[in-house]
Amino acid sequence: MRKLLLLCAFLGILLSGYSTIAQDHVVTGKVTSSEDGTALVGVSVQVKGSSQGVNSNADGEYRISVSPNATLVFSFVGMSRKEVVVGNQTVINVELGTDNQQLSEVVVTGFGSQIKREVTGNIAKIKGSDITNIPAVSIESALQGRAAGVVINQGSGKLGQGIQVRVRGASSLSASSQPLYVIDGIPVTSTDQSSFGGATNPLADINFNDVESVEVLKDASAAAIYGSRAANGVVLITTKRGNVGKTNISFNYQFGVSNPTRKVPFLSPKQYVDFYRMAAGNADRLDDIDPSDPGSSTAYMESFFESYSLGRYNNGVNEALNSGADYTRFVQSSDLATGTNWQDEAFRKNAGSQQADLTFSGGNEKTSFYISGQYLNQTGIIIGNNFERITGRINLDHKVSNILSIGMNMSLAHTLNKRLSGDRQFNNPIQAAALTPLSPAYDPTTGLPTGTPPGNTDVPNYYNPLINLGNIIQNQEVIRNLSNVYGQINILPSLKFRSELGIDVLSQQEERYFNSKTIRLTGQQNGTGDNLYTGVINYNTNNYFNFDKSFDLHTLSATVGMSYQNSATKANSVSAINFPSDAYRSIENAGTISGGSSSTTNFRFLSYFLRANYKFNDRYLLSASGRIDGSSRFGKNSKYGFFPAVSAGWVISEESFLKSNTNTAISFLKLRGSYGLTGNAEIGNFPSLGLYSSANYAGTGGQAPIQLANPNLKWETTTQADFGLDFGFLNNRINGEFDYYVKKTSDLLLNVNVPGTTGFYTQTRNVGSLENKGFELVINSQNFVGAFQWSTSLNLATNRNKITNIQKQIVEAGISSMSRAVEGQPIGTFFTVEYAGVDPTNGDALYYKNAANADGTIDRSTTNVYSQAQRVVVGNAIPKLTGGLNNTFSYKGIDLSVFLNGVAGNKINFYGVGQYSSANGIYEDNQTADQMNAWTSTNTNTKVPEARLFYSNGNNPSSRYIQDGSYLRLRTVTLGYNLPQTVVNRLKLKGIRVYLTGQNLLTWTKYTGWDPEVNADDIVSSVAQGYDFYTPPQAKTFLGGINIKF
Amino acid sequence: MKRHSFLQLTAAMLTGFMVWGCGDRLNVDPVQSVDEDKALQTSSDVLGAVVGCYDGYGSTEFGSGAVQYIADLLADDGDVRFAGTFATHQQFWRKTMIATNSQISLTWRNGYSTINRTNNVLENLGKLDTDAQRAAAEGEVLFIRGLSYFNLVRLFAKAWGDGDNTVNPGVPLVLTATKAPITEANSVPRNSVSAVYTQIIADLTKAEADLKNGPVTANGANAAAAAAILSRVYLMQGNYAAARDAANRVIASGLYSLEADYSKVFNDYKNRRGVPSSESIFSTLITIQDGTNSLLTYYGSSANGGRNDVRIQAKLLNEYAAYGDKVRGNFFIQDGIGRIFTAKYQDQYANVTQVRLAEMYLTRAEANFMLNTQVGATPLEDINRIRSRAGLAALTSITRSDILKERKLELIFEGEYLHDLRRTRRNISSSILYNDARLVLPIPQREIDTNTSLVQNPGY
Repeated sequence: MRKLLLLCAFLGILLSGYSTIAQDHVVTGKVTSSEDGTALVGVSVQVKGSSQGVNSNADGEYRISVSPNATLVFSFVGMSRKEVVVGNQTVINVELGTDNQQLSEVVVTGFGSQIKREVTGNIAKIKGSDITNIPAVSIESALQGRAAGVVINQGSGKLGQGIQVRVRGASSLSASSQPLYVIDGIPVTSTDQSSFGGATNPLADINFNDVESVEVLKDASAAAIYGSRAANGVVLITTKRGNVGKTNISFNYQFGVSNPTRKVPFLSPKQYVDFYRMAAGNADRLDDIDPSDPGSSTAYMESFFESYSLGRYNNGVNEALNSGADYTRFVQSSDLATGTNWQDEAFRKNAGSQQADLTFSGGNEKTSFYISGQYLNQTGIIIGNNFERITGRINLDHKVSNILSIGMNMSLAHTLNKRLSGDRQFNNPIQAAALTPLSPAYDPTTGLPTGTPPGNTDVPNYYNPLINLGNIIQNQEVIRNLSNVYGQINILPSLKFRSELGIDVLSQQEERYFNSKTIRLTGQQNGTGDNLYTGVINYNTNNYFNFDKSFDLHTLSATVGMSYQNSATKANSVSAINFPSDAYRSIENAGTISGGSSSTTNFRFLSYFLRANYKFNDRYLLSASGRIDGSSRFGKNSKYGFFPAVSAGWVISEESFLKSNTNTAISFLKLRGSYGLTGNAEIGNFPSLGLYSSANYAGTGGQAPIQLANPNLKWETTTQADFGLDFGFLNNRINGEFDYYVKKTSDLLLNVNVPGTTGFYTQTRNVGSLENKGFELVINSQNFVGAFQWSTSLNLATNRNKITNIQKQIVEAGISSMSRAVEGQPIGTFFTVEYAGVDPTNGDALYYKNAANADGTIDRSTTNVYSQAQRVVVGNAIPKLTGGLNNTFSYKGIDLSVFLNGVAGNKINFYGVGQYSSANGIYEDNQTADQMNAWTSTNTNTKVPEARLFYSNGNNPSSRYIQDGSYLRLRTVTLGYNLPQTVVNRLKLKGIRVYLTGQNLLTWTKYTGWDPEVNADDIVSSVAQGYDFYTPPQAKTFLGGINIKF
Repeated sequence: MKRHSFLQLTAAMLTGFMVWGCGDRLNVDPVQSVDEDKALQTSSDVLGAVVGCYDGYGSTEFGSGAVQYIADLLADDGDVRFAGTFATHQQFWRKTMIATNSQISLTWRNGYSTINRTNNVLENLGKLDTDAQRAAAEGEVLFIRGLSYFNLVRLFAKAWGDGDNTVNPGVPLVLTATKAPITEANSVPRNSVSAVYTQIIADLTKAEADLKNGPVTANGANAAAAAAILSRVYLMQGNYAAARDAANRVIASGLYSLEADYSKVFNDYKNRRGVPSSESIFSTLITIQDGTNSLLTYYGSSANGGRNDVRIQAKLLNEYAAYGDKVRGNFFIQDGIGRIFTAKYQDQYANVTQVRLAEMYLTRAEANFMLNTQVGATPLEDINRIRSRAGLAALTSITRSDILKERKLELIFEGEYLHDLRRTRRNISSSILYNDARLVLPIPQREIDTNTSLVQNPGY
């Protein structure tokens, strides 16, 4: 309550602090472009230090009543800002030049906005125009590599799948490290809602062509206004609004084709037979059994070849193999008579995608609008994968009077994602790579994919993912409505009140069905199906005052307000088996209902926030902000948290010693620093309570304890210090920023291991700390100006993550627990046995013992007994350096942009694939081609151990499978041509643009798997990073498009 | 100025609106779970918690097959080949377990989770309405606790009699319900093998007495089930008299009868829509909606919902053939490419038998044989009863090894063979002796890390 009183007192001060302003002087004028003299429509003409302002009309003219001592500020997106002292002038005509400085840009800050040059925190801004029409389904994919310190990993090439975003490193071990997403002021549902096949991405419901700008709040000063949810950064997405002027109509259509970025070479049928004969022979030698014995591995393998080739092995294929005949035909896809290149079967060739956009925008002085619609259909590069979305948006603003303005944003989306199973499931199509290439893809007796009943369902060696097609449905259908209304009252010229009420409705239907043909996968004779509904209704209201006033050299702006959010999730599901026949797939038709459930969960946040910015003499900047956050998620002993931040800036270039006419080299220089607290509340909804839940048995209701209480549980606290330098040289043709940050997170929300004998596994506690430190550099440069323009923007960021204290907790994750949180090491550390290569004398895999000797040294001797080797840190999955480089060129109507991004210093764990497919023939899985280099008595200098059927020789978890994951990728290349105005005019149009875009055209990496941008969807967690498990690669896309403006 | 006062008023009202108390709204109760303080208040709450103990026991990683297949894979010497891709399970079959084997950790956890559930019930028996309910509920949960400790001590400790039972570490005995906060007191050490057996016998003996009027829950365990497990415990201890008497009490109860057709003992859902066989004394119940038969997962063929992992080898088939055993020796299935699987587990929704009547005859026969007594029947009569159901001719005289052979061929893949080998000191193979350290599961590394008072087993 004391906090509330403080808040009221603050408001009182604000309200009493204004004075009346005489407004008896009328100024008129016209705003034009300095480049071509054309009238500029919708330019903001603002009285400096107040909220009073107008926009220029369709002819570029404005009219405003001011006091004579006022200063008018003219600003327009993409143009440099101009200030004019009114004095006794009554007509002020202004020319605005193209802004090449980015310093006068307006930056959205959360509950307000600020001019870039006055920002004292660290906010990365990405313009919507930079990401328009990128061939991706969700906005994060498009943002990849475009902001320093914002590291995006798409994880896989599956469409609409969850995407990992890390702003200045991961800051949690058990809670989420994903940023908070706020769209037009409303925190939106961004967490996974899917119930199968890995995480999906609720942001894929957003048409990012509607986005005006994306601001990423990175440091504490920028983010603290979002309090307990800001520690992972805040992503503010602002959608487009209409401008005063004639109505613009724009139509865009693009069409593309996609293929995988890479395939991994596996053994051909001939190599497969050679390899497994060798492996079986070696096993017989170890077993001391005669290969001609019917019980020998050799005999087993020969019969395996025969069975799995559906009898073709001894009847044709075998002869061909043994005669050294032409094997090239074996690697031809789906050659019924011989072998199969299974990997080719898993990928679509030239998967098509198309997208059509239609937008209308415009308005007059009272009302403006932005209306858009989009249809997008992307076919995945993996068989069975497809993403389709229809979206519409209306953004309206209306000025009721000089005092009151109102508006709304509404978007509606319908998405249909035809999904794939999780990477670890046998029906993940990429797992087909492990099938024996001797098996035909299609059974010649039935013409159906091999393994489909009535054919032999035990061939090939695992489930044949080709059976998925037509026999499996895995649809996720979402209807998403994201709407908000606002009202704004201009109480005084310097004081505004804004109230926003938003609702984010996510309505998701998942339908899964596997018919009787998939029996090998499901074990169900007569099919199985699920139907799941999930609804998330998320209300939010923001109510706040903005105060903005100048006195002489002082400018003070302040924001104070509250917000309240209530998000409720309801879900229900039903599953069934025993369908009458494959003609039926509705649960209604099923013979047996095999399961059902319903559930409800919700969370609430109640918050009060305050921010004040003070500027003196245009050069000294001070800012303070704070938020009090209460949440239903926190324990009863810590319901409310306080998150303050301060920051300061010094515009050195305004000082006389730099601001001389002789100094043209340095045009802008600002030093800034910030310090503050933010929190992370992504801990689930009821982690603090001791809970019982249902424990039913054989149809009788039962209950059991499921969770230990912790009434002291609270948010994670992150303190962050940021030091930055903003600079501009040569009239700001070269400008940029440089930052160093130290981000320390304490009270980690950790699922602390408790002894299993308690009957529990973990308890969520606030234990331990970690830190992230790093440098960020952004440079924008205009290399050529004039007719031929070339500009470059570069961003680079380093991040050093370190777990500083976890109080001896052992937190492991990933395949065979190969990832571990280790004190003194980054999150995502691989902790496993160190591989020492192959014993040249016998082909045994060797491991370093790495045991501590009595004298404290480490025993670096090797052993072929896996259990004698100690696990050690062998690298980590977090990149040390990330960056992006964009070059744009334009000449007359032609423009070209070339965008590269890359990461360096991270490792990828290939064990998910390698334990089966680079595993010396322990199982009958097809092997990666490098296994042909296995040790033999004549090939002793190799890292690949001897092949031994059914023996583990090097396929235990070890550093053998941990590879360098650095990559540099030619992410996007776009070549565009704007038809000459003369041609366009003749067609009675405003503009025509045609363009070609290439996505992921080239990748440079040492990684030998499919794609270095990988995080297997059903393995990834905070600790388990960088796993590959036959994970589908990214798409390489070529597309062409046309844009017509009416 | 008037306008300004109006606006000031507006601002004040808006401020009031903003600070309008929402504080109470931060107390949100969960819906599909219940606060622990509210969970055990009424008689029916406690009865629900009793049912929860069966659910815990029947978890996939414990009493729904894991306890059984872990022992059987450890006991194998070429009767089967584990060809599955789960490294954890390969380790059982190859006897190369490591302390970080996640399956072992899960089995440990699920065992103790079940035990904690039983302790919660025991501390709340007073809330039940009647003395009869109290006795039956106590009997049921003591049965589950005793059986759970027996499963754990057999897997995680040296066998009874392999050294000094009062010194050999067993498993920690936790007999009170866990409440937050977790402190050092929760880091409990291992009790000796003999202390654990004493507790098991006390629990099961009390359970048998408490359950004389039957269970209070539907499908609950009865006194015969407690006696059946007791007979197993005593047999493990070599206490033949007590084992014989407990087995005899089960047989004499008349509640159970041998299925005439051996194949009808298994695959309950396919055979009887889920009703356990007439010789099932206690089974973990699986329904289409609830529970997973994890024996099916590993032993079953993919056509029946399994993983094709445990493939029967010629050695076992030859053993049946040499015995002339056409019923049990043909109780296998072959898939489309010639792989052979046991036919015992070919039904996803079959219940997981924990103990059945045939074992009671075999136990009574063995104990009578060892003691040279004829309680209930002669050893020959009991063995011939089992042989006759398997289509084998009656024997006229028997030896102990006949009884043990019969026990293996009847009960194979039901989780007892390893323990039979260890208690009778028969070796797994020439290189793996009955008391080999590799046959004892490691205490999960996670538990050692979390509870420093736990001692690891030799060899890990």
